[in-house]
Amino acid sequence: MTRGWVRCSLADFVLETEWEASPGQVLVLYGPSGAGKTTALRAIAGLLRPDQGRIEVGERVVYDGARRVWTPPHKRNVGYLTQQYNLFPHLTVSGNIRYGMGGETRQERQTRVEELVSVFRLEGLEERRTWELSGGQQQRVALARALAVQPAALLLDEPFSSLDAELRRTLRGQIRAILEQANIPVVLVTHDREEALALGDEVQVLDRGRTLDRGEPLRMLGQPGQGRVARLVGVENVLPMRVEQRYPQDGSMVCVSADDPPPGHPALRLEVPLTDLEIGQPLLVGIRASDVILAGDRLASSSARNQLQGTVTGVELRPPGYQVALECHGVPFRCHITGRSLSEMGIRPGMNLWAVFKASSCFMVAEENTAD
Amino acid sequence: MFRKVINPSNPWAPAGWAATVLYLVFIGLPVLAMLVRAGQQSDFAASLTSSLTVQALQLSLITSAVSMAVVVVFGTPLAYLLARGDSVALKAVDAVVELPIVLPPVVAGVAMLMAFGRQGIVGPALTGMGIHLPFTAIAVIFAQVFVAAPFYIRAAKLGFQSIGKEFEDVSQTLGVSPWSTFWRLTLPLAAPSILGGLALAWARAISEFGATIMFAGNLTGRTQTMPLAILTAMETDIGSALAMSALLLAGSLAVLAILGVLARRRWEGRL
Repeated sequence: MTRGWVRCSLADFVLETEWEASPGQVLVLYGPSGAGKTTALRAIAGLLRPDQGRIEVGERVVYDGARRVWTPPHKRNVGYLTQQYNLFPHLTVSGNIRYGMGGETRQERQTRVEELVSVFRLEGLEERRTWELSGGQQQRVALARALAVQPAALLLDEPFSSLDAELRRTLRGQIRAILEQANIPVVLVTHDREEALALGDEVQVLDRGRTLDRGEPLRMLGQPGQGRVARLVGVENVLPMRVEQRYPQDGSMVCVSADDPPPGHPALRLEVPLTDLEIGQPLLVGIRASDVILAGDRLASSSARNQLQGTVTGVELRPPGYQVALECHGVPFRCHITGRSLSEMGIRPGMNLWAVFKASSCFMVAEENTAD
Repeated sequence: MFRKVINPSNPWAPAGWAATVLYLVFIGLPVLAMLVRAGQQSDFAASLTSSLTVQALQLSLITSAVSMAVVVVFGTPLAYLLARGDSVALKAVDAVVELPIVLPPVVAGVAMLMAFGRQGIVGPALTGMGIHLPFTAIAVIFAQVFVAAPFYIRAAKLGFQSIGKEFEDVSQTLGVSPWSTFWRLTLPLAAPSILGGLALAWARAISEFGATIMFAGNLTGRTQTMPLAILTAMETDIGSALAMSALLLAGSLAVLAILGVLARRRWEGRL
């Protein structure tokens, strides 16, 4: 297990966070660049000395600011995979894997290397130079090298960032399996939502050096609890509203936009799942852009509880599809559609469309509980 | 063939080629002339083994070898410190290190006399301890280290800098101590730059003239290195002067060849 808390102040930035990951668990530190994710990893690895804190790796306390405990990085037994992998170019693939191994006899080391080569499917590449390898192979060599020293914890810094999108998806599954096999605590840093969902057992959202929230990946990244978390994890529509009517027997309630509509327009109203909020209380409603259907006309007969009329204000490429910006009752609203839908419907700015989505696609986002 | 090398989008191409030819003649003609005249000497082989030549060659090889040992032992940690540190003090040191590159060697010789000479600032104290530096082989080494060290330090510093700090970080997380990391990772990766710097520094040391003649003098068999011996021989024994010049030219070509090989061995783009 690895757990602890640190406070690190760098030039114009302060990181203050805590973490905990048990063996076999992948803790994802999620946040935009500059959130302090890499700084946290470097502190755990011992490559950076915090101002205060306490760090446990395995059963050992490797840093305790109050009790002046400090273990240097080469004695921490923490595996660290950097974004660029940093394979050593003067050594072969097997030379890289063998680099940190020690203690055992030459024969035992060789057996371990062969084992890792086969687990990481690097057969036939043992004597290759590292720069001759593909990106995916380099990643596997770096991971094999880190696991070769049998670390008590593993730190992964954006492990897929230098690979192309296609490769990422294929490798994720393999890495997931290898991490489960290793049965050590893993702290993984990423700003990629899909990656966090695919690999994380638990997600901790960081922003500007602070932990905003922590929980199961789907709850954090699908229906995040806090306003800033929602925006950080890329929930495209977060609307300030208040409760207008409650329907406990249907399990739903109607909310009305907290902002006044433009003159001559009715206020924006949404049907959302019932919460224990009272009538008149404010709330933030989150709707993912990919949960919204665009229609040319109002759907006459439909199970979707929300249909908003709006005008297209802009269209932009958002791979793999497009993001259409609407203005509905004076409120900006974003929807994601495919390129084919865009061309078949002939969507262009100024057009009138209907945004359609289920009540259950709306989720409640709490207001910030920390005012800073 | 000419059409290929004259790129139509390069407005400088005709002037560039003209200058190139002129330059090659300018450098090549004197070198060739020297070799031709050396070859014309009837007693070229005898000149190569004359006592003046042999003594100067021995002295040059021994002093430059000792100088390079001193430069490597002291220059390597200094270069590493400069490469990894970013304090204001180190930036100042960085500037001072390069002073000998731009300082006229004769001035370096005068400066060392003023420090270690009989009338110098620390000279009398040294004499009191029975140490006498000027006009000895030690002085020759001092002069060589003074002028040659910056070439080594600069190259080694750039070599260390080209290795990202992250490589050393990763090495340490693999359980390898900072000291072992230096020997097993940093040094092998910086080796091409370091050896290149050493070759340049050696070339500079072996050709040292101004500081040596000022501080160490021109005593045959004691402080008379090859360049000084060439000066002396020019007045009396042109054959020996030409023989020694040819030897130094061969050494220079060897250094060029070593530099060429090392340049292709860099890890650039892989670090």
